[in-house]
Amino acid sequence: MAEAFAVDVQGLKKSFGGLRALDGVDLRIRPGEIYGLLGPNGAGKTTLIRAIVGLVAPDAGTVMLLGRRMPDVDNLRNVGYMTQAAALYPGLSIAENVEFFAAINGADKGVDEVLKLVQLDQRRSSVVATISGGMRQRCSLACALVHKPKLLLLDEPTVGVDPQLRVQFWEEFRKMAAAGTTIVVSSHVMDEAERCQRLGLIQFGRMLAEGTPNEVRARAGTDNLEEAFLRLAGDGVVA
Amino acid sequence: MSGRRVAAITRRLMQQFRRDRRTLALLFVAPIVILALLGYMIRGSSSVPAVGIANQDQGPLGGMFASALEHSNLISANTIQASDGDAKLKDGSLAAYIVFPSDFSQRAQAGTIAPEVHLEGSLPGTSVPVLQALQQALASVASSRPGAGLRFVPQVDYLYGGRTLDTLDYFGAAFIGLIVFFLVFVITIVAFLNERSLGTLERLMASPLRRGEIVLGYMLGFTILALVQSAEVLTFALAVLKVHNEGNVLLIFGLEALMALAAVNLGIFLSMFARTEFQAVQFIPLVVVPQFLLSGILFPVSTEPKPLQVVSDVLPLTYAVNGLRDLMIKGADLTWPSLQLDVGVVAGFCVLLVAAGVATLRRRIA
Ligand SMILES: Nc1ncnc2c1ncn2[C@@H]1O[C@H](COP(=O)(O)OP(=O)(O)O)[C@@H](O)[C@H]1O
Ligand SMILES: [Mg+2]
Repeated sequence: MAEAFAVDVQGLKKSFGGLRALDGVDLRIRPGEIYGLLGPNGAGKTTLIRAIVGLVAPDAGTVMLLGRRMPDVDNLRNVGYMTQAAALYPGLSIAENVEFFAAINGADKGVDEVLKLVQLDQRRSSVVATISGGMRQRCSLACALVHKPKLLLLDEPTVGVDPQLRVQFWEEFRKMAAAGTTIVVSSHVMDEAERCQRLGLIQFGRMLAEGTPNEVRARAGTDNLEEAFLRLAGDGVVA
Repeated sequence: MSGRRVAAITRRLMQQFRRDRRTLALLFVAPIVILALLGYMIRGSSSVPAVGIANQDQGPLGGMFASALEHSNLISANTIQASDGDAKLKDGSLAAYIVFPSDFSQRAQAGTIAPEVHLEGSLPGTSVPVLQALQQALASVASSRPGAGLRFVPQVDYLYGGRTLDTLDYFGAAFIGLIVFFLVFVITIVAFLNERSLGTLERLMASPLRRGEIVLGYMLGFTILALVQSAEVLTFALAVLKVHNEGNVLLIFGLEALMALAAVNLGIFLSMFARTEFQAVQFIPLVVVPQFLLSGILFPVSTEPKPLQVVSDVLPLTYAVNGLRDLMIKGADLTWPSLQLDVGVVAGFCVLLVAAGVATLRRRIA
């Protein structure tokens, strides 16, 4: 990959009415990195991810994706986006959902492979309306992965996924990152943070701290990431 | 624009409908139920028309016909004076009266059965039972007097107008269009809204899909359904209900397809302004009621007060209804300027609504 950053966000601002959802966010993510976007509910994680793919029009700031200025519709074929709520067609089977997202992203194969990956190949013809929440989450992930995007944006992907499967998810994320895929994962669960190469702690639409898990802990002067976040967040509020 | 991506959307809609029995029933069962009910209401009326019988025949035949008619269960016959007939038609106590003229028997000898049938004319559904009752009377009279090859030539005249069409012929033509338009509209607006509330639209917008591709994919999908529905409705109306048709069936089908296209795009367009399914449902009476009242289905546009005519003139359904009636009742073809206008306006609305649909579909959700 030629460009230095897979994601390069500068000075991003977005208000909804009087509410500042993004308040000047800078974010740079290297290719092949697993970046964790951490913050409590309402921190602005979803808004930031939406702004990155061009679904939210920022009031100020710029977004570059894979070296191209957003919004850029064609550039979106390089992006896989897993929305926070598993957005699927309940009337279609698991395989039909994945096939649909493959087709609109211009991929003609990969459906079987990705269904195996999320362990849904045995349930491929089950109608989505009838499957469990965890399976929906896996199907949703499959839909975001099927066209082998260079950049994967996952908005709280492990919500509702049991711990055993969560481990497998992260295993996969690591493999994909090693193969060059850039992954941005948002989460409000701190124990997931440990698995990311770099973290961004976000609150009230601002980036409180950034760095590897160890750097974040060191900065807060604690061994515990959860604790670290609370301390840094406390500083943020005061500041 | 990528054909593959458009096809992906269309195929997905088909897959969704395959499993959605309720929607399929709405699309393919509801129109038949509505049309059958309408047919039954209009043609299956249990009251039989009151018919006066005036027998002036100097021979025996008039009397035999009169008594046969009195026993008919298609009409309710009673004896009157021919000179009172028109007055009774006007005051509404009779729907028709039949006069057997003084030379009735004499002409029958020559092979011609020529009763005078006077119809009120504006009441729909009376001419058919009256003429059928006469034919039954003829059959029973002829069977008791075999031999003669008789020609039945009733002398029919109308007090008002002179249509031989009944109400179903008049409304049927309009209803065929109406049913297709509204059912397709309702299903599109709900389907598109679901896309929004499920969050799948957000995913579509985060893909390389163009807005035009989404609208086109939807249009194709729903148009396929609408065409099947139109074919079904038309077949039922023509073959089962036997709605009068003078026109080219393919032209009628074409006009219906245009209406379906307009309905799909109206659905997409209006779904942009609804945030919940409930709000979308609120659009339905808003769209349906004015068009139902003002498109000339019930009352001809020319009889409306002037200000309402202005409204009627901008409703697409007005043109569609007029076009369908011209086709089916008057046997219009594309050389008729009035039909050209109707088809042109409906097509124009389609184009306008496609543009509006694409324009209102935002990539940005905030
Ligand atoms: N479309 C919107 N309209 C109004 N407010 C919004 C909208 N989207 C998000 N917000 C607000 O912006 C803030 C950040 O939301 P979000 O980005 O969803 O947070 P997170 O994903 O971190 O939980 C919240 O207060 C939320 O209510
Ligand atoms: Mg969120």
